[in-house]
Amino acid sequence: MASLNLSRNNTAPPRSLSGSYSAVTVLPRGRPAGNSPASTSTAPIFEPRIIRATNTPNPPRDPACVLPFAPSTSPVTSRPRRLSSALRSANPTSASTPVHRSVPPPSSTTYAHGFPRPAYLEYSSLRDLLHTDAAPALPATGRIGYAYTLSSGSADTSVGGSPAPTIIPYPHRRRELTPQLDSDDESTASPPPPAVGPAAPGTSTTMLSVNPVLRLPTRWSEQDRLPALSISADGRELTFCGPSCVGDRESSAARANHPIPPACGIYYYEVEILQRSAKGCVHSPSNVRCGLWPSRIAFSSPDVRLSRLPGWEKNSWGYHADDGCSFAGQKDGSPYGPTFDAGDIIGCGVDFSQNRAFYTKNGAFLGMVFDNVGKSTELYPSIGMRHTAEAVRANFGNAPFKYAIEDHVRAQRDATWTSVMTTRVDLELLRLSSKTRDPGEAETRSSKESMEEMEEEEKRAPMRQLVLAYLAHHGYARTAHAFQKQCAERSRVLPPREKDIPQVTLNAHDADADADVLMETDETPSNDTHTRSYSFGPSSTANASSASSSIDYGLDRELHTRLEITNTILRGDMDSALALTSVHYPAVLKREQGLVLFHMRCRKFVELVLQAGDALRRVKEAERIRMEKEREEESAEAEAMDGAGAMDVDDPSSEAQSMITAPPVSKNVPSALSLTAPSAASGPVSASHTALSAEAKSALNTAIAYGQTLEADYKTDTRPVIRTHLRRTFGVVAYEDPCAAGGEVGEIAGQEARVTLAAEVNQAILESQGRPAHPALESMFRQAGACVVQLGLLGVGAAAFADVRKEFLEA
Amino acid sequence: MPPSKITILQEEWERRLHDVNVSKNDLNRLVMDYLVIEGYKSAAEEFSVEAGLESPVDFESIENRMNIREALQRGDVGDAITRVNDLNPEILDTHPALYFRLQQQKLIEYIRQGRIEDALQFAQDELAPRGEESPEFLAELERTMALLAFESSPYAPPAVSELLSPAQRMKTATEVNTAILESLSQGKEAKLVGLLRLLCWGESMLDERAEFPKLNLSDGSFEGRAR
Repeated sequence: MASLNLSRNNTAPPRSLSGSYSAVTVLPRGRPAGNSPASTSTAPIFEPRIIRATNTPNPPRDPACVLPFAPSTSPVTSRPRRLSSALRSANPTSASTPVHRSVPPPSSTTYAHGFPRPAYLEYSSLRDLLHTDAAPALPATGRIGYAYTLSSGSADTSVGGSPAPTIIPYPHRRRELTPQLDSDDESTASPPPPAVGPAAPGTSTTMLSVNPVLRLPTRWSEQDRLPALSISADGRELTFCGPSCVGDRESSAARANHPIPPACGIYYYEVEILQRSAKGCVHSPSNVRCGLWPSRIAFSSPDVRLSRLPGWEKNSWGYHADDGCSFAGQKDGSPYGPTFDAGDIIGCGVDFSQNRAFYTKNGAFLGMVFDNVGKSTELYPSIGMRHTAEAVRANFGNAPFKYAIEDHVRAQRDATWTSVMTTRVDLELLRLSSKTRDPGEAETRSSKESMEEMEEEEKRAPMRQLVLAYLAHHGYARTAHAFQKQCAERSRVLPPREKDIPQVTLNAHDADADADVLMETDETPSNDTHTRSYSFGPSSTANASSASSSIDYGLDRELHTRLEITNTILRGDMDSALALTSVHYPAVLKREQGLVLFHMRCRKFVELVLQAGDALRRVKEAERIRMEKEREEESAEAEAMDGAGAMDVDDPSSEAQSMITAPPVSKNVPSALSLTAPSAASGPVSASHTALSAEAKSALNTAIAYGQTLEADYKTDTRPVIRTHLRRTFGVVAYEDPCAAGGEVGEIAGQEARVTLAAEVNQAILESQGRPAHPALESMFRQAGACVVQLGLLGVGAAAFADVRKEFLEA
Repeated sequence: MPPSKITILQEEWERRLHDVNVSKNDLNRLVMDYLVIEGYKSAAEEFSVEAGLESPVDFESIENRMNIREALQRGDVGDAITRVNDLNPEILDTHPALYFRLQQQKLIEYIRQGRIEDALQFAQDELAPRGEESPEFLAELERTMALLAFESSPYAPPAVSELLSPAQRMKTATEVNTAILESLSQGKEAKLVGLLRLLCWGESMLDERAEFPKLNLSDGSFEGRAR
């Protein structure tokens, strides 16, 4: 539970999480970082809970059974970040959110049944959403029990104009755009590109925007079982206590406490058939049926349905012990596997990527079975029994599995991924192609290879554009130039080759795209304002003086100036940065009611304080050297007086050096603000030291004066974001070396803060020109990742095996 | 099947996008991968300096690989074979089918140049023995030799005449390129291309189930529900 506490108390800004893989789907605020494989070692100690009857005063009702979507409360409080709360605006949908019964957070006793997330689930791209009871350190918001519903059985699928159809009450937390914190510096997950097109007006349906906690089955449900079945204290054993069922259609069934989230990709559990020799009971073949129950059980009369074996009822599936048959929602089974009996361990798996199921017996795979499993309803692991003293013990991942499920999942993951990777790149879908390709065209191609060949070529040019725009966005000027040059060379060399292939026509838009890349050959600077390409034509600014001489290419004026500004910020030269920005991009300074200007000015103040601190340190260093010299001289004198002849002659150079070192200044300077004037000291006062002291003093005065101006200028600005940032900025003054100080101060003073500000300004400039704040390449990654998560939440099991980060960044 | 699509508001989608964990450094690595796989050597070199990234392979190998590709696209198969062996002699040893493909290409180039005697000699000396190795090789050899029969005839069937097309050269070049990349433990396709595939897969799958803001990759903007 260590990780639980850790994440619960996590007040660090989201940045601290972003480096970890688990942050992929983790909420940026106060959310636990999920169960990384490493943290699974922190398995809680099992504490059995005694459950005597179903009428426990506070039964841990399965939230999913109560309400499809459990609302949670007071989202704001768990937010650790400081600045952001200020920007949060009202939730536009909250007004229309219907009031739902709120589900109390699970009592802590439920944690006793928790266990680390089974290892095979690490293959799911949505693993961070999957929790056993123990894992989710539910934040104070109590965001629990989200059960995805798209099941056809869910009652409230009213659609249309009604105000509260499938609206899900969720603690909507507006993700405010705080570029000053989240901008795309080296280490943080940056905010997504702001979307343009607003949502259609009058939209009344919505999806939840917080990542849900998807609960895994951890035990048999106390509620959803027939009384004839008794549950052990740990919730894993079921025993049939009543008299054996006589009728052909009777049985007793139980199901697990949570439905299986399709986001697992593949879910698997095992059941051991136990032998309970009850006296008076003629041993008959085991009649256990291991399977899956749908969610559509009418809770009002559970006996009705739970008196049927899994596989008989519609949308349930089962594998029967006494005949080895499989049952898919009908009375008649089909031959499937061997029979099983006491001592056997039967495994049941659901593969949501294929919507099929499979069973194992004693670790041996029995084959895929059933179709359309889990497509229309939620599924619960379930057990049906018919004979007295029959008993089973389930393993929901509490213990190692008999079957090598990890290998199974890995193989299916690889197969699914391979299949996803055969997806044709549809440029039209991505709005990369201005034209719709004639569908008939594809069919007339003589061979599959030439299709692929064309696809290769087709996607090449847009990809170049993406990369080039990315390089330009972040100001990798030399790379962009080299890349563009090589693209141009290739375009010159390669295109003609296609011309004598009759069946492959070079699409017009390819040529367009290549022309964009070829802009370098244009003699005139491109004046067009379309945002699609960054023109790199030889421009008049080629000779513009640049402090960073690295840019000596004929780059576009815009990129050039933008780079210069960000570089001055990175160097700490805020005067130049402010001057350049006000000359070239006055609109940027006015953005968000002067927020960018404010941040730049605050940074200038920090730079001034840092300079003053540096100057002071130089003075102190000089002082220290002088003191050392004095001590050396004293000891040398003492030695000389001892009569060591060799020491008679002082090194003249050290003498000279001591002449230029500092005179004493007042010691124990605690902070930059308390610098006092150098006291007139005995001994030789060197001119250089005086200069140093004067410099330090004037640097400090400058900083203070600027700080006072800053305070005066923003005195009336009551925006919390301004107040907070101002307070943090002034806090820097209290530290002797703010950059070395950790935490908030180091954060606002260090190089990291320059990087962040440079990114913010870069972004603001781009936005002021109507360009997306983020390179399309970044949006592409985010869009792909977001689609996968959303698909997983909507029950598309294949999405669990399309792990964008793992496949592209960690492979 | 769900009776209707759900609607994901733009704001909520932004939240989803925001939750995707990717840093600038991650993206830089993807770009580096692209530059390396696609063979933009000088750009990769500059990028490793500007972005402070190590290249996964040495830059010379990029250049060599590109030289081999260019040699094949020019039709200089002999040069390409020499270069491949200079780079790593094991590549052709361990890929008999690839070696056959190169020899076949060489034969095609002879025929293209009208060096019929050389072509016949080469086919008899080098290719015929290999045709006995496998039925596929033999079939390919027969198809290639058919070029002689249809020499400069406009009536040659496409299956034969396409051997003379630049696409055939491209195909051979791509196969060689892939084999070299494999030998360097690099993927055969730039990861960015794979990302594009995933995006296409994800957007079209989700489009069946939900209305959500689509990405316009040409400028990085998002489009609302209206299409």
